[in-house]
Amino acid sequence: MKELERLLDRIVQRVNINLREHEYDVNPLVQKLIPFSQMTKFYAFYGITPHHPLNLQFRNSNLAGSYFLGKCSVTNSLLYKSDIRGDELKQKADVFKYQGYEIPVDEDEEIEIVDSFLIKTLVHNFSHDPETLEKFFIRDTIAMHYANIHGSPAEGSFLGPFSTVDLTTIRDSRVGTFSYIQAGEVSHLDIEPGTVWVRAPETFNFMYRFPLQRLNNYIYFTAGSSPQGIFIDFVEDRKEAFQRVFNVVNLEPSVQVPNSASLDRFAVIKPKTHISDNVLISQRAYLQNAWLGKGANAQEQSYIINSRLEGNDITAHGAKIIEADLGKDVFVGFNCFLRGRPESRLTIGKESVIMPHTIIDIRQSLSIPAGHLVWGLITDEKDLESNSLSLKEFSKIDTRFSKGNMVFEGNGAEFVTAFKERIHHILETNGAFFNGHSNKGHAQQNQKISFNTIQPYPQGEKEGLYPTIIIRP
Amino acid sequence: MKRYLVKDLMVPISEYATVPQGSTLSEAVIALEKAQEEYNHTHYRHRAVLVLDNNKQVVGKLSQMEFLRALEPQDENIDRIKEIRKFGFSSKSIALQQEQYRRKMPVNSDMYTSAIKLKVEDFMQTPSEGEYVNENTSLETAVHQLITGRHLSLLVTQKKKIVGVLRMSDVFAAAFHVIKEVEATE
Repeated sequence: MKELERLLDRIVQRVNINLREHEYDVNPLVQKLIPFSQMTKFYAFYGITPHHPLNLQFRNSNLAGSYFLGKCSVTNSLLYKSDIRGDELKQKADVFKYQGYEIPVDEDEEIEIVDSFLIKTLVHNFSHDPETLEKFFIRDTIAMHYANIHGSPAEGSFLGPFSTVDLTTIRDSRVGTFSYIQAGEVSHLDIEPGTVWVRAPETFNFMYRFPLQRLNNYIYFTAGSSPQGIFIDFVEDRKEAFQRVFNVVNLEPSVQVPNSASLDRFAVIKPKTHISDNVLISQRAYLQNAWLGKGANAQEQSYIINSRLEGNDITAHGAKIIEADLGKDVFVGFNCFLRGRPESRLTIGKESVIMPHTIIDIRQSLSIPAGHLVWGLITDEKDLESNSLSLKEFSKIDTRFSKGNMVFEGNGAEFVTAFKERIHHILETNGAFFNGHSNKGHAQQNQKISFNTIQPYPQGEKEGLYPTIIIRP
Repeated sequence: MKRYLVKDLMVPISEYATVPQGSTLSEAVIALEKAQEEYNHTHYRHRAVLVLDNNKQVVGKLSQMEFLRALEPQDENIDRIKEIRKFGFSSKSIALQQEQYRRKMPVNSDMYTSAIKLKVEDFMQTPSEGEYVNENTSLETAVHQLITGRHLSLLVTQKKKIVGVLRMSDVFAAAFHVIKEVEATE
């Protein structure tokens, strides 16, 4: 156990030295957050498929309850119940296109995690940094509960609970609780909680900042205690359901799954759930009385409860949809929390885009018209008016625009196009457009997957540490 | 052609608007008005008030900018909006969002009555090293000091004592006078 403690101290020091200009000490935030006894309790596991390279290396690390797929290496790190999903990494001979450059990829890309502490964090996608094509690195970084590191190499940074860094190389920065950053490259920034920031330099810049007092009801994190609020209560209330899927070795799916769809064996499926063709349900997703139309998906840590998704709807990592009806082609971004009530449902019209990290929590029925962009914190019609705009109107912005707590600068049409293209790409990658023989994606390729488990030293100085393990074909 | 020195152009401190530390903004405004009435050498008006300590030493300056800043309502949200500059937003976008925010706020009718009770030291600007100039300095050097420091006035020293204020308006008037003189002789 002593080795584990030394490892945590080492990581804390390395993060602190990178964040010294912000005078930010992560030590009180992370000490005793996860009891060391928990870190020895859970096995780690990895997937084997014919479609992804198998190349895993673990050194001097704890991997409790974490999952690995593809080419990943972990050194001097603590990974607690995190998903390191390397199924979208670049492969040797791929060509990476960036601002007119076409850069050949020399070798299979690797997720490389060094001197970092990740808690219930998802690492996915591939490095979008043209300067580091073959290494999707995470170094000297701490990521708190339910953070997403998506296509974002990270160094010397602290990511708060429910934060997301998306397609952005981040260095020496602090990302506050429930903040979403998609900005290409950031360094030496201190980003306060509840910041939603999407920037393409010279093209557009979008920012929404949550009213902090209201956000604190949903998620609040301070030194000396675990994250608190409605988000945490919500996932804790459903935690038990996951214990069964992780405890049982052979688990038969409880619903009918079409040949073109994929249901991960580490997802929770509760009764009356319906899965149509080309649907993808990832691990740690939770579905209860959910109707998923053709091509819809439920990504990691997402929850769909008493809801209907008509088809080609995206439920991005960590998104929650409760008592809602979604038309076709609705995008629900990372960590969104959309909660209707049984007697007052939420309806979202087709082709609407719910920005990442949007909270909709209503007590009276609310209907979002088709083709709208929605952001921020919405509890009633008035909030919806302040926090939405039709995509058509948004496309007309050519200088700057401000509404409520949102400010936008640049070209609205480019912003809308970028979102639409990305949504199309996500559906394509996930296999939503599979026609029986072509356009295969995760929904078709993730069907045949085996899982193996690995475990740490059970006692002694090295208790909780995993031995050096190299797994190759 | 006359060679001006700073002491030829400065306003003596005895003719300048001053208030002791601990004064309110209201008292500073009255001192400014009084000094203006008594000082009618030029048509340029005083635009600042000096704050003096118990030893009559200058410890700060309240320019029109500081007066206006004192009148601006203190609001955390306005300050929070200003922070978005670090995310690459332009001044126009910051102003746009501030305007959005202000429109939602009720009009604060007692903004002025509460502001005038504030203490001058909460808003005064403490003179920096580059804001002092010796009384025997040439006009040319003083001009350079005003330009490089982007100052509207300089505090004039005689040994360690502050004896006057060199205002940009007076320096401009002198420079203008020199130009006319040169033109007339050519």
